[in-house]
Parts: sequence; C-alpha cells; structure tokens
Amino acid sequence: MSIRVEHLTHIYNKGLTYETKALDDVSFEIEEGAFAGIIGHTGSGKSTLIQHFNGILKPESGRIWVGGTEITEKGIKMTEIRKRVGLVFQYPEYQLFEETVAKDIAFGPMKMGLSEEEIDKRVRDAMELVMLDYDVYAERSPFELSGGQKRRVAIAGVLAMKPSVLILDEPTAGLDPKAHHEILDMLEKLHELDGCTVILVSHNMEDMAEIADTIIVMDHGKVVLQGTPREVYGQRELLTDIGLEAPAAMQFTKILEEKGISLQESVMTMDETAEAILRLLRK
Amino acid sequence: MNSIIELKNVTFEYKNGDEDRVVRALDRVDLAIEEGSFTGIIGVNGSGKSTLAKNMNGLMLPTEGEVFVKGMNTRDPETIWQIRQSVGMVFQNPDNQMVSAIVEDDVAFGPENLGVDPEEIRRRVDQSLTDVGMYDYRKKAPHMLSGGQKQRIAIAGVVAMLPDVIVFDEPTAMLDPKGRREVLEIIRKLNEESGKTVVLITHFMDEVARADRVIVMDDGKVALDGKPREIFLEVEKLKELGLDVPFATELADRLRKEGVDIPEDVIFMEELASEIEKRVKNQCQSESNI
Repeated sequence: MSIRVEHLTHIYNKGLTYETKALDDVSFEIEEGAFAGIIGHTGSGKSTLIQHFNGILKPESGRIWVGGTEITEKGIKMTEIRKRVGLVFQYPEYQLFEETVAKDIAFGPMKMGLSEEEIDKRVRDAMELVMLDYDVYAERSPFELSGGQKRRVAIAGVLAMKPSVLILDEPTAGLDPKAHHEILDMLEKLHELDGCTVILVSHNMEDMAEIADTIIVMDHGKVVLQGTPREVYGQRELLTDIGLEAPAAMQFTKILEEKGISLQESVMTMDETAEAILRLLRK
Repeated sequence: MNSIIELKNVTFEYKNGDEDRVVRALDRVDLAIEEGSFTGIIGVNGSGKSTLAKNMNGLMLPTEGEVFVKGMNTRDPETIWQIRQSVGMVFQNPDNQMVSAIVEDDVAFGPENLGVDPEEIRRRVDQSLTDVGMYDYRKKAPHMLSGGQKQRIAIAGVVAMLPDVIVFDEPTAMLDPKGRREVLEIIRKLNEESGKTVVLITHFMDEVARADRVIVMDDGKVALDGKPREIFLEVEKLKELGLDVPFATELADRLRKEGVDIPEDVIFMEELASEIEKRVKNQCQSESNI
C-alpha cells in the first residue's frame, strides 16, 4: 500500500509554554512496495511522523492516506487501519511478555479473532520471515534469547498481523554488529518475499545507502529532502548543516578529493568504493 | 606503568532464570588496566563485556578470583565505598541515570552521598558541568534535553565524584550521530586533559580506533588484546566473532585482496587516502615516463 501525506502538522503541548511544533506542514508520498528510509537526528520529528500512520497520534491539521483510505477522516475505524499498518517501536523487545515465543507472536492475530488454525499458520510464517526456526524457538521463553533474537520475535509479532505497510523505528539500535547485519538482511529478504511497503526510521546512513530505494530527510519537523539515496547523499553540505553524517564511503571520497583524486562516479557503499578505486588504479 | 585495576583469574557465573542453568559470563580473566590509559572493550552481546565492567568496581563480585582497585580487594566491605568512588560508571541509557528534576541537582547527587561539604559540592558541580560543556544548562530539567546532552549530564555526575577511572558501558548506543560525537569528544578530553583512566565498552569499532589498547571479548574470555592497529589486522577473526572493523581497514583489506599493495596496519581514512594518493601519483609518473 502506498502512503500519502499532505500538509501534516502536529503540535505537542498546545497552548502551554512548552508548545512545540513537532511536524510542520509535511507532505510526501511513498509508493506501494517501496523500501523507504526516514532519516533525521533526534527531535527532528521522525517518530512523531510514523505514529500518525496508524493513528496513535492525531494531527493538528493535514491529511494522510494509507492505500486508498484517508485515515485522518472523521469516523474512520483505526482498528482496521492498525491491521494494515504494522508499527515496530524502538526497543520492541521490552514489550515481549508471553511465556513462549509462539504465544507472544500469536497475541496480535488472536486479538484479531482469527481461528486457531490460522493463528498457528501465521505464527509459523512470521517466524520463517524473521528467520527463527519454529522447531527450535517456538516453545522457548522469549526472555532467554539474545538481544537480536528477542527483537526478531517482536518484529514477528507485528508481521503475524500481515500488515501491508511495515514501519520500523530504529530496529537495529543497541545491537551488536552481527545482530545489526542480521536484522537488515532479514528486512531486505522480507521486503523481497512479502512485497509489503517497508518504512525504516534510522540515523544510520550506511544502512540507508545499502537498503532504501527512497529516503526522506527530516529536520525541525519539516521534510528537507526526498529522493534516491544517491540524490539525497549528493547534498553533502545540507546534510552536514542539519547534523547528519554522510556514509563513510562518501566521507572517504571527500578526503580523496581534497588530495586531488576524483573517483569519477559518486559512491555510497564499501563495494562501490572498492570498485571505483580499483578502476582508477588499473586504467 | 602502574596498574589501577587488576583482575586476577576472575570467573563470574550466574543462574539463568527458572531453569537453574549456570551461565559463565567471565571465564578465568586475567587483566590489568594501566593508570591514565584509554582502553576499549569490544565484543558481541553476551560476550561478557558488561559483566567485566561491573566487576571493576564491585557492583558484581567474582564467583572465583579477585579484583583489585588501587590495591583494594572488591570483596572487602571496608573499602568498597572507596572503590566505587574511585571507579565511576556511565551506562547506556541516560534516562535511567537521572535522579533529579534539575540538571545541577542531578550532578550534585553523587558528591552529596559521599558527604562532601556544600561549598565543595558547588565547586565540583560547576567544574564538572563545565568539563562536559553543559554549564549553561545547569538550571534546566534533564527531560527537556537531547539524548547526547543527557548523557553528558550523567557523565558530569560521575566526574563530580572525582573518580580515577570512568567505565563507560555503551554510552553512545542510544544516541544519534551528533550525540555520539559530542559524548566521544567528552570522553577523549576526560582522558587526555583531565588524566582520567578510561574504559570504553562499545559496539562501534571507530570509537576505539584511537584508544591505547583494545580488548576483544568472546564467550567470557579475552580473545584479543593489543593496540588498535594490531587488533584490526585480524579482519577475518573479528568477523568470525561477529564484529566489524573500521571502514578504512575493511576497504584496505579488500583492495589488498585485489592485489593493491597497501600496508596492513591502516586504520584511519586519512592514512588510506594517502596510500591511494601515492599509488595514483606513481601511476601518472610511470605513464609519463613511457
């Protein structure tokens, strides 16, 4: 499903001295089946924005469409929208609570009133998508698992509701490098297999360069850039101005440029950098 | 050099949940931390890094073996408060480390508990807030600050207790790039300018690239121990352990595998760029010679 946002504004503590405009006239569109990234530093409005997509927050003004449905319309049933838009919060493993992995994942589908058979099928499918072996993990306590595994259980819990749009807020925060790569690989595969629209909120520029096909950059509650990673990262100065770091590959290119070495093409990842340098040295 | 913390054959075990399975988080670790040094500790989750840190100031006591801080055994109840004053700790989540509604009260909390007299507390609070660059925020409420700012307040709270050593347990894990840079800069200054012994536990390899020493933990044991340049040579081994290497190290490694002659101990982007510059210029010269 696509997501369309028009002139969205959100104000916290309206009328109080602390009043803050967390979102300020935000408009953009994410196409169906896209892998979109939202970047921006803490307080730029990223988390406020995504909480509007399944109705946790109501805007001050503006409209949001999920698929063909306008979810900001009066009288809309948010319970229906929440089945379509799955939101994985930061540190979702803190929300695990059941005795076993399978029960925890089953919680959402159970609340949807699905048959036992269907619930079981969904739990199995979701576990497969997050690459947790059902036979090994289904009956284990989620609290005995590693940090990365716990997080995958939490994501499976959202996937089991079969959302058409999956939104993840900093899904790799606090994980070690191995678990970090595993989560990203999982998301990439999931996107490929399931075809759902994925929205990833992160401040990791490397990850975005590798994985996203469109990036939205937020600053002070506004969308300051949207485009492909290449287009967005091309705006080096703007990114620096708003406190974001270019991916390491681009920082490295800049150091080379200062030494009078130009790589001919813009590179964003380790692979591209290695290839570009090899070409330069072999020509 | 003087060792300020010494771990002698330290094993730490705990029972996991209701199954009564014994987990050995530290397995006969022998380690000495030099006074005034900057030591980075890396390793995947569950490798024993945090347990190691908590054994360094008696928050945890070893199941077997001994830990000494400035010669004092962490098992000795007589000196445990002296040890905890001497080895301060900063944790991952700044929100869990705030105790007061006003920044300066929060920083004063530690010295107050040590029974320091009020004038001296005032002096220390002002000094430590200045050290972390947060003096202007002394009257603010911590919850109105950014993650990086909150973490700097947490650091000031530890600095105000005048510790000799500060152990940072993943202090940047929850911060954005800007917050990360701010906090790392403070940590560097505390070591270089204030002479604090620093132990930094992290998942980010680039944060320990400038450390004096890097210790890699795996399965409760010290897997590698040496200067960053020596440690990052082991690209394959680190990857096996589930860790990354700095960007420049990995790129150099790839280029080397493709036959480009680059020294093995490159860890900074600047160094790698200079190496590539040399190759490119040589190439131009040999071309013009033909």
